[in-house]
Amino acid sequence: MSTVLETQNEIRANSDRHRVDSEYVFHELTRSICPVCRRVIDAKILLRDNQVFMSKRCPRCGPFMALIYADAEAYISYSQYNKPGTIPLAYSGKAERGCPHDCGLCPEHEQHACLGIIEVNSACDMDCPLCFAEAGPGFSLTLEEVEQMLDDYVRTEGQPEVVQFSGGEPSIHPRIIDFVRAAQARNIRFVMLNTNGKRIARDDRFLEDLNEVRPALYFQFDGFEPETYRVIRGEPDLLGEKLRALDRLAEIGLNVTIVPAIERGVNEHEVGRIVEFAIEHPAIRGITFQPAFRAGRHLPGDPLRRMTIPDVVREIEAQTSGKFIASDFVPVPCCFPTCNSVTYAFVESGRVTPLPRILDVNDYLDYITNRIVPDFSHEIRTALEGLWSSSSVAGSDKSLQQLAISCQACQLPDKLAINNIAKNMLMIMLQDFMDPWTFSQKNLMKCCKEFLLPGGKQIPFCAYNTVGYREQAREQLVAMEPERRRARREGRPYQPKPIVFDFDSRSPA
Amino acid sequence: MGRGQTPAPSAVKQCCAAVYASDAARLLLGDSFHPGGTRLTERLGQMLNLTPRTRVLDVAAGTGTSAVRLAERFGSEVVGVDYSRESIEAANGQVSAKKLGGKVTFKCADAEKLPFPDACFDAVICECAFCTFPDKQAAAREFNRVLRPGGQVGLSDLTRQGSLPPELESLLSWIACIADAQPVSEYAALLSGAAFTVSVVERHDGALVEFINQIRTRLLAAEVMARLQKLSLPGFDLDVAKTLARHALAAIKEGKLGYAIVVAAKEP
Repeated sequence: MSTVLETQNEIRANSDRHRVDSEYVFHELTRSICPVCRRVIDAKILLRDNQVFMSKRCPRCGPFMALIYADAEAYISYSQYNKPGTIPLAYSGKAERGCPHDCGLCPEHEQHACLGIIEVNSACDMDCPLCFAEAGPGFSLTLEEVEQMLDDYVRTEGQPEVVQFSGGEPSIHPRIIDFVRAAQARNIRFVMLNTNGKRIARDDRFLEDLNEVRPALYFQFDGFEPETYRVIRGEPDLLGEKLRALDRLAEIGLNVTIVPAIERGVNEHEVGRIVEFAIEHPAIRGITFQPAFRAGRHLPGDPLRRMTIPDVVREIEAQTSGKFIASDFVPVPCCFPTCNSVTYAFVESGRVTPLPRILDVNDYLDYITNRIVPDFSHEIRTALEGLWSSSSVAGSDKSLQQLAISCQACQLPDKLAINNIAKNMLMIMLQDFMDPWTFSQKNLMKCCKEFLLPGGKQIPFCAYNTVGYREQAREQLVAMEPERRRARREGRPYQPKPIVFDFDSRSPA
Repeated sequence: MGRGQTPAPSAVKQCCAAVYASDAARLLLGDSFHPGGTRLTERLGQMLNLTPRTRVLDVAAGTGTSAVRLAERFGSEVVGVDYSRESIEAANGQVSAKKLGGKVTFKCADAEKLPFPDACFDAVICECAFCTFPDKQAAAREFNRVLRPGGQVGLSDLTRQGSLPPELESLLSWIACIADAQPVSEYAALLSGAAFTVSVVERHDGALVEFINQIRTRLLAAEVMARLQKLSLPGFDLDVAKTLARHALAAIKEGKLGYAIVVAAKEP
């Protein structure tokens, strides 16, 4: 005879015993880190409601979930853009503990360094609530260190295409112009200066120096509204200075890429205006939108509601009334294809022609496969000038001369026309950096943007900011400061010391 | 998608109808076919141990860019020769503008019959031109004759080995300067045949890859211009050009096309 309890159990046991499907597709497995204790853990990539999520569980700290990509269809289709990487000439690390603790680069890395970033200092003339570099007083590199780092970069790359000086705020480093010169002297084709623009707005002498060395500018620019700058940068009245700096850069003809950090709920509504501004402004050749990520100093936010690349693309499409649409953007095969997307457009009299609409992208994909295009307008200019060089050299083929002089149907452009075409090219890039919630070892292994360090190590961007490399490097770089000062005081060269990493004693087991 | 056709040949003026593929190839390649640029020229200079006391002969000097570069970088005296009078005129123009004080001079001459006495140069360079000489053995013998005992010759040139796709073969036949590229072993053999001892063979295929990528960037720019209707290229098929560039890169990857430096010494 059954008791009431047994009957209840029986009822429960006989309740609907049909299995249900889970609400998502388990797309793949990767490795990540725990956002709290930094332990390396497995992570699942799940597809649900046409969105891509990362779901992981730390044995000590519990489960975590983050939005990776707000367009699952696009995410899956991008595997066709996954091309073979390029092998560097030398590695600065060995594969010992296993990824991500052997940076860098170790022989397991799947791409060379397209972009080397040198943080020349930690100090900044701002104190932004959003700062992955954790800017503040600490260290300031010497010329000897920077020269050695550049030499190491040349050793591993042969002919590095781009180096970017960053910080802190690199423009306030007393030797920054010498650093730019040192890079140019080493046959590194493009030297970029990352900056908030303040010194450019205020300092005439600095502007003259920039005019002389002529780096490319990577210019922080989040929008137009005071509230945007108050929340992200801690300075609501920043816009005036930014605009003044951009106008001064236009006066000396330097090419600028503006770099907006886009934070959901703060400035995603400004995306369209930023694009229109870039189209109009004579100094601006490109925009690199960076969805805000949670490394270093950052604003609090829900990892499930962060801005991802498809979110920014949707805002661009909506806010520019379709001047740019989603299919204009092409995944960049240099890093992992879901990390960056780009488009190039020709702009004339307000009319925008994104090049993927008039060319077959597949014809030119390897143009961006294993390299960063630092300045597309410069490339176009050089190419156009090269195309018509034979018509301007004495003694060239007679029929070509006829072409140049008398054939109107061929309309060879003169120097002015070439200049106008080049200046009318606009790049829009979208870069989604990872943080401890979204970190995926798979993407990391193909990263092509590395922080260069004294001693020759090159640490992939997202490893540096999430795994613990930045903290260890900062400690050592700061500890070298007394010796740097001593050397300066005593008028002797500073002996660079290599940065080393230790994950064994610090790993949480 | 507005991928229009290039204008039909019948629609263009007579002079444009005369644009043959060879002219289009010249358009893309530019005036000088010189993979590796000044970097490779300087490498050659280093390998030949050029100093301010060296007297150098630059054979097929073109418009003189390399000769000037060598004089500036190494301080050597350089005499440049070229078959084309127009090139020599342009070269002389370059030199007077640079004020090199008589260090660099140019002369119109035939590489197979050099107008110099025996043993009057310390070094001979010949960049990306040896493969164009109809009688290469004669040219090699002339290089040997004008060098002093122990002097060195440095060649940089396109190399080819094995068969290439037919489209690439026919394009190459239109571009005179690379029609007769040889396997690198053949260049070495020609120099040995002229009493030289080959000391170094150095591959620089990367320079050729870079050069072809420059061409592909020009194709990109040309296509962009054409599709924006800022340029018409009658008789020039962009698709063919793009395919050819791809074939060239594949050929380099397979080792069928390349670029190399060969250095050899005359008996002391």
